[in-house]
Amino acid sequence: MRAEGLRAEGLRSVDEPGARPDATVRPAHTGSSALLIEIRGLRKSYAEAGRTRIVLDAIDLDLRAGEFVCLLGKSGSGKSTLLNLISGIDAPDAGDVTLHADGERVTLTTLSERARTLFRRRNIGIIFQFFNLIPTLTVVENVRLPLELAGRADGGAAAELLAAVGLGDRLDTYPDRLSGGEQQRVAIARALIHDPLLILADEPTGNLDDDTGESVLELLLRLTRGAGKTLIMATHAPEIAARADRVLHVVHGHLQEEHLQKEGQAV
Amino acid sequence: MTARAGSGASISGWRTGQSVLRMAWRHVWRRPLQSLFLVAGVAIGVAMIVGIDLANGAAQRAFELGTESIAGRATHEIVGGPSGLDQSLYVQLRREEGYTLSAPVVEDYVVVEELDRQPVRLLGIDPFAEAPFRSFLGRGDAGPSAPNYLDDFMARPNTVLMSVATAARYGVDVGAPITALSGGREFTLEVVGLLEPADELSARALDNLLLADIATAQEVFGRVGRLDRIDLILPSGDAGAAWMERFQALLPDDARLAAASSRAGTVNEMTAAFRLNLTALSLLALVVGLFLIYNTVTFSVIQRRPVIGSLRALGMTRGEIFGMVLGEAILLGILGTGLGLGLGVLLGQGAVQLVTQTINDLFFVVAVRDVDLPASTLLKGGAIGVLAATIGAAIPAWEATGVPPVGAFQRSQIEERSRRLLPWVAAAAVGLLAVGGLLLIPDWNLIVAFVGLFAVIVGCALLTPLLTWVVMAAVQWFSGTVLRAPGNLLWRMAPRTILRSLSRTSVAVAALMVAVSVIIGVGVMISSFRNTVSLWLDEVLQADVFVSPPSYAANQVLTTLDPATVEWFADYPGVSSMATTRGVDVAAFLDSAPDSVTDSGTDSATEPVASGAASTVRLVAISQDLAGEDRRYRASVGDSATTWAAVQEGAILVNEPMANRHDLQVGDSIRLQTDRGPEAFTIAGVNVDFDVNDVILMADPVYRSHWNDLAISAIGLFLEPGQDVDAMVNTMRASAAQRAHGAQEVVIQSNRGTRENALAVFDRTFAITVALQVLAALVAFIGILSTLMSLQLERMREIGILRATGMTRGQLWRLSLIETGLIGATAGLIAVPTGLVLAVILIYIINLRSFGWTLEMQLAAGEFGRAFVVALAAALLAGIYPAWRMGRIQPAIAVRAE
Repeated sequence: MRAEGLRAEGLRSVDEPGARPDATVRPAHTGSSALLIEIRGLRKSYAEAGRTRIVLDAIDLDLRAGEFVCLLGKSGSGKSTLLNLISGIDAPDAGDVTLHADGERVTLTTLSERARTLFRRRNIGIIFQFFNLIPTLTVVENVRLPLELAGRADGGAAAELLAAVGLGDRLDTYPDRLSGGEQQRVAIARALIHDPLLILADEPTGNLDDDTGESVLELLLRLTRGAGKTLIMATHAPEIAARADRVLHVVHGHLQEEHLQKEGQAV
Repeated sequence: MTARAGSGASISGWRTGQSVLRMAWRHVWRRPLQSLFLVAGVAIGVAMIVGIDLANGAAQRAFELGTESIAGRATHEIVGGPSGLDQSLYVQLRREEGYTLSAPVVEDYVVVEELDRQPVRLLGIDPFAEAPFRSFLGRGDAGPSAPNYLDDFMARPNTVLMSVATAARYGVDVGAPITALSGGREFTLEVVGLLEPADELSARALDNLLLADIATAQEVFGRVGRLDRIDLILPSGDAGAAWMERFQALLPDDARLAAASSRAGTVNEMTAAFRLNLTALSLLALVVGLFLIYNTVTFSVIQRRPVIGSLRALGMTRGEIFGMVLGEAILLGILGTGLGLGLGVLLGQGAVQLVTQTINDLFFVVAVRDVDLPASTLLKGGAIGVLAATIGAAIPAWEATGVPPVGAFQRSQIEERSRRLLPWVAAAAVGLLAVGGLLLIPDWNLIVAFVGLFAVIVGCALLTPLLTWVVMAAVQWFSGTVLRAPGNLLWRMAPRTILRSLSRTSVAVAALMVAVSVIIGVGVMISSFRNTVSLWLDEVLQADVFVSPPSYAANQVLTTLDPATVEWFADYPGVSSMATTRGVDVAAFLDSAPDSVTDSGTDSATEPVASGAASTVRLVAISQDLAGEDRRYRASVGDSATTWAAVQEGAILVNEPMANRHDLQVGDSIRLQTDRGPEAFTIAGVNVDFDVNDVILMADPVYRSHWNDLAISAIGLFLEPGQDVDAMVNTMRASAAQRAHGAQEVVIQSNRGTRENALAVFDRTFAITVALQVLAALVAFIGILSTLMSLQLERMREIGILRATGMTRGQLWRLSLIETGLIGATAGLIAVPTGLVLAVILIYIINLRSFGWTLEMQLAAGEFGRAFVVALAAALLAGIYPAWRMGRIQPAIAVRAE
């Protein structure tokens, strides 16, 4: 059904005739779950004061469904850029991002802008660091947003999710009446409302105090990992990374994978 | 403080000022489009004011040159009735009384083929008497004239002089014949000399003037043996009074002695209302522009509040913050003003033709060739532009000083504060509306009425935030209950977005509302006016065919029909009967006459008081009351038949403008200067009429019995039953063209043609009004565009999140257009009642006080519907570019945006 939906929006799987041949896959991590994301030769640069600054270069990465992956790196290292490229809200200079959705391989970087948006609306949930709610929508409307944009009714799911994040009594409140932690919980509910394959979180606790950050993180992990969702999180915090399945360091535009001990301690 | 310390402080102050200016400039540079909008708003506002001022000024100066410069140094004048003065009076003054400071004048307009067929004043003078009065002949021997040109001028008939500049412009040489048309007759005149003006004033006066010997002028205008007036220079004090007494004794019954400035005073007063109306309308764009300036600066402050907070934390004082924001706006205001002055000059050159045409149509013949650039106009425009920028920016600049040094306000807090102010703004609006209403009620002068009108407009604008809130709340309720389906999300978001930025969106709505309400108000006024005039024309234009001599002014016939011509038409096959009209200017002695010597500004202590101080009014003598039962009266002694019977008995009718202007009632008497001396006439009725001048209607036999005038100005012909009027007009025109050489040229028009011509004059009169409205609407359009673009800047991050969450470009487009549509629709909705109020004020107060007309208001749903569509379309049009830009925002960049 997902594939049909995508086809209806004009998407094309790379398995279809005329599609670009698949690149060589070198999984960074092996496991029993299915491959969800393939990134090949990804490159992104920005022009700054007349000079080109390469943020990401020759990124190759495979991610499997259900993984919790942490991206660690300094400010400006390219963590957010990588998330943006994976979600399709930014386009790379070179390289491909391919997602396996409903048995089809969809190369985001070959899609039109509209098709990328529709794919994102259906398959990806995003949580930003701050100011990530729409101020003119109530809490419940913010959560329903991805469904409403697709013209779908939520069937009470938004209220259930809000209850699950502890905001069942704040449905009709506007975001500016919520604390930072509460806002982020609404954002988590919004990122999950449409049952996405992939959740991208850009420093979701970066703007919160330690206790609130911890509770938000707990909530996020409970709702995503419990549901077997794939979560990619950009963060500065090593203690968050310690809870991830995989940790990737973004250094000088390249990815370096950290090998973890069984107990979750980095080597 | 020591001098050294003082110098240190001034250096530090200078450096601070430099830093402030640099920051202001960089902000302007980073938001070029916003700055451009402010500049454009100021520029258009200033351009309209300067353009109209230049056009008004040019027409006014042309008129002044045509009267005052030609009157020269004359202090008084002896004027006669419709047929002028007998020239023997002049001879008597000079020979018997020995008063040499007197000069005879015969003047009127002619059309000269070789001078581009423009109306040119032909001034008939006595060269021997001229020197003390006018210096036109002072340096005539300069330039290319023949040495003995004055001899030719005085000795040879049908010779004229013109200025070197005029001759050069039209390529006329000395000795060349020129063909002058007057009263439908052709005259060949010879240019025997060219005049080199002695000074700038003379140069301008001569630019539109032909000088002829008095005998030549008398022949051209068919006034042989008659003078239009005798100019006098009387000494001040007792000597002057003594001379006046002597002259009064000499004057025949049809003549009177008046101050020379009296004519200019009368006409000035009449045109003053017209010019004031235009000036008020020209201010409109600036009022709309004020909203734009306010909005632009407010946005700039809101965008920069974190920066302002930091600057405050770093030690910048409130005064410096105020100076920075205000200085920025003033700099842009100066830029806009400079641009506006340039545009205003161009606009003035275009507007002068429209203004001149209207003055020619309604008041008097005036020809304007050049638009001067008086420093006063430029200074006024410049000052108003900079002042507008300062006023528009003062409130946001003051608000900027309230940004705390640490933890700058959240945007929502600012809006919250604005929402709390809403009742106060509404209360201020109600107060302003009450003041405006109070100013409009008493019968004060027109300027007070306009102040009242502007107070009402600004009051309605101040009410707009509250009304916008109400409308958006209603839309929110509707979209939240009726449009709850998931696909209608955008309809729920749009009104909330507008409410969220109410302090800014409501200002854009107010600007558009003001522009559209003026379109409605003026539109209803014009259409009501046009309908009223159209009905009135149906009533008064009863004859089938109208015949008149060619005229240079649409509403006045200055020349007369030859008796032979009248007879020719009366006997024309197919014509059953004829009605005649005689229109003349006569002196009326009215208590509120503006042209008494004292009123015109002459010092009565030193100047001799003229006994003949009077107003010039138009007297129309008609042989039949063609309108009959259809003639409408504001007041009369009885029904139409009774009133006309009274007129035939010797009473008169005055038109509504005259009754209003001079507070005349039925039963009042006014004295008119007849050829038998001043005589009183009782007012039998006040008739509806759309002449701007004072007009008295009189029965033809009554007129002929009081004035020695047999002339006829125009005739109306009734055709035998069954005659095709248009075919008859064509036949008459063909036959008239074949009349013997030298026969009078006439204008023959059907009833329908006359009606169409009158309405064409009407439409021409309002052409400039429509142009000014369009410019005001353009400023409002820029206001909406500026607001939308600024809101977009503010919402960058929100847009990025929406796009990241899955909103397509198409949905974003729709959201943006729903928002702009709501802004436009709200402006349109509020503009409808506001426009109606303006229409009532314009029709029943401004028009009445300006011109004395009572119009019948006619409301057409189409007028309101069109204005609503204009508001909606303007907003949607303004929304296209911001929507396009919103669609192009890269979500990745937008989510990073602060």
